[in-house]
Amino acid sequence: MASTTRLRPVPITGYSVLSALGGDRREHLEMLAAGRTGLGPCPLPLPFPTAVGAVKTPLPELTGALAPWSTRLTRMIAHLAQGLDEPLRRAHQRWRPERIGVLMGTSTAGAESTEHAYKAFVATGGFPERYDFLKQHTFGAPLHVVAELCNARGPRWMVSTACTSGAKPLASAWRLINAGVIDAAIVGGVDTLCTMTLHGFESLQALDRAPCRPFFKDRLGISIGEGGALLLLERDGDGRVVLESVGETSDAYHISAPHPDGAGAEAAMRQALQFAGRSADDIDHVNAHGTGTKLNDTAEAKAIARVFQQPIPVVSTKCYTGHTLAAAGAIECVFAAMAIEEGWIPPAIGAEPLDADVKLHVPAQRTVGRFQRVLSNSFAFGGNNVSVLVGAP
Amino acid sequence: MNFPSVAVLGIGMWQVGFPSAKAWLGGIADATAQKPAGNALDRVNRRRAGQLCRSLADAAAEAMTMAAVDPSLAPTIVGSAIGEAATMIGLLDQMWRRHEPMSPAEFTVSVHNAASGLISICNKNRGMTTSLAADSDTPAAALMEGIGMVLAHGVPVCVACGDEPAPENLAGQAPPWSMLASAIVIGPVDHTPRLGEFTIALGPSPTLRPTAFDALAVANPQIGLAWLIDAVLRGQSGRVPLDAGLGRGYVADLHCLPR
Repeated sequence: MASTTRLRPVPITGYSVLSALGGDRREHLEMLAAGRTGLGPCPLPLPFPTAVGAVKTPLPELTGALAPWSTRLTRMIAHLAQGLDEPLRRAHQRWRPERIGVLMGTSTAGAESTEHAYKAFVATGGFPERYDFLKQHTFGAPLHVVAELCNARGPRWMVSTACTSGAKPLASAWRLINAGVIDAAIVGGVDTLCTMTLHGFESLQALDRAPCRPFFKDRLGISIGEGGALLLLERDGDGRVVLESVGETSDAYHISAPHPDGAGAEAAMRQALQFAGRSADDIDHVNAHGTGTKLNDTAEAKAIARVFQQPIPVVSTKCYTGHTLAAAGAIECVFAAMAIEEGWIPPAIGAEPLDADVKLHVPAQRTVGRFQRVLSNSFAFGGNNVSVLVGAP
Repeated sequence: MNFPSVAVLGIGMWQVGFPSAKAWLGGIADATAQKPAGNALDRVNRRRAGQLCRSLADAAAEAMTMAAVDPSLAPTIVGSAIGEAATMIGLLDQMWRRHEPMSPAEFTVSVHNAASGLISICNKNRGMTTSLAADSDTPAAALMEGIGMVLAHGVPVCVACGDEPAPENLAGQAPPWSMLASAIVIGPVDHTPRLGEFTIALGPSPTLRPTAFDALAVANPQIGLAWLIDAVLRGQSGRVPLDAGLGRGYVADLHCLPR
């Protein structure tokens, strides 16, 4: 798709992050720098073993008027909103609430609450008294919580494109800010661990029993995780990182399997570069989708190798957080921003020895350097591909 | 909030008794059209697709045919408030009521973007597709996302919104509504030919209130897009509500061109 006009980069003026690694930026940096995974035993009762990235951070309760919306998902959102408090306060001094959008992503929405409620329904024939499908299950319900907590009254919607859900809102915000429709947007993604999701990936024989090892020669699959990230994008501002562009493509191949050659993934990366007016040589690092499945990692590695003639460091941080599904695109965009801000990228835990088909530079050690521009990849069921390009201003 | 205007290039619809926008304009219900055929999907993917996906695919195909856009190129935005909730409840029944292993095929189409994914596969569309939700504001949100695409890239965009009734076991948890899917192709405001133009605003009182839809269709969270399409079909200019009173009050300011 040709762009008629080049969209301007948009500053990322703040972010908050929550995952199995911790509840704030500092905790994430410590774990990533030390090469320590957050993956561990699954807290949900399952008839099969698997490692997961469960959030251990205490989450605030929703109280008062927001109490009926309280679920694990919205409590995660409340935690993330607290982490965005300072940049949001500054944004409110510059922009009217009606000009601040809420563009989020989730795949599970309140499914974790519905699971509990439906289990009770199967057992007793009735739903728990406090269960409310419209306030706790729907994709739209968490939007209300974000809007209220952040006093954002602009356009709002929840993208739900499975594992690209957290990356696509960045594209939506980039377009709307460039169009002059809004001045700022709270974007991000959030998902919780759900029994159904874990059973689903188990049914696809896609789960590793142990912590996942993306790009490893004998990798066995995914570790599912939970968490989220919120990013504040503003028309202008003093962000240490900017969103340069987003590439969005489809495989048009299969509902759940990636194109074997990674054609759609390659197209997404090339589109992100084209939209930003960049060449592959301008990119210093790729935060890979890298789920740890045979098919995904091989296809993505082929795509990356075709785009980048010169080897650049490629790391999948899912070996730290697990695959946080709809949150992954947002969390990994934050990790890409951290690489630019901090000047290092974390080691790829467990990737060595690499799969012979993975002809990439996947560093086993923490890599220190000058990271000016980073691509962050996310791919999903439906053959949905997103590549986010963030850079130094 | 100022949304620039976009052109209306094509429209499509599926509702019980009316399998197309053309049939809806004709006004005579087809008693055999109780479930969407999914003719826009190929045989393999039609088997995978649920009712919601079939209705969205057929509505989108009708709109893209009318707009004379290449379905392999047009970005497609699918909106749905509850998406594949019925598929999800089916999976929970498999786990907890029937104690069966989960069906991998069912799991892969339980995602909210099952429809947009299957539509892109069947149209061999390797461009942008997305899927979103915003409760009763889903039609407004999907249109805003579509307008953003048109403004950024200057290409026609297909916006399709639909919801099937909430799963039977959740009766009492959600109001009853009938299945409804609508689609509209929008493009740059100077695109020719076009059926009309519209922009989106928040707050002003609607001046058009289509009355032909029955109460179960009006209760569907996607009624707003159906109202907009109904007005385009009838060549009525005015301010069309994009929700039935449960949303934030978005309207489409529609100007239809003489035909």
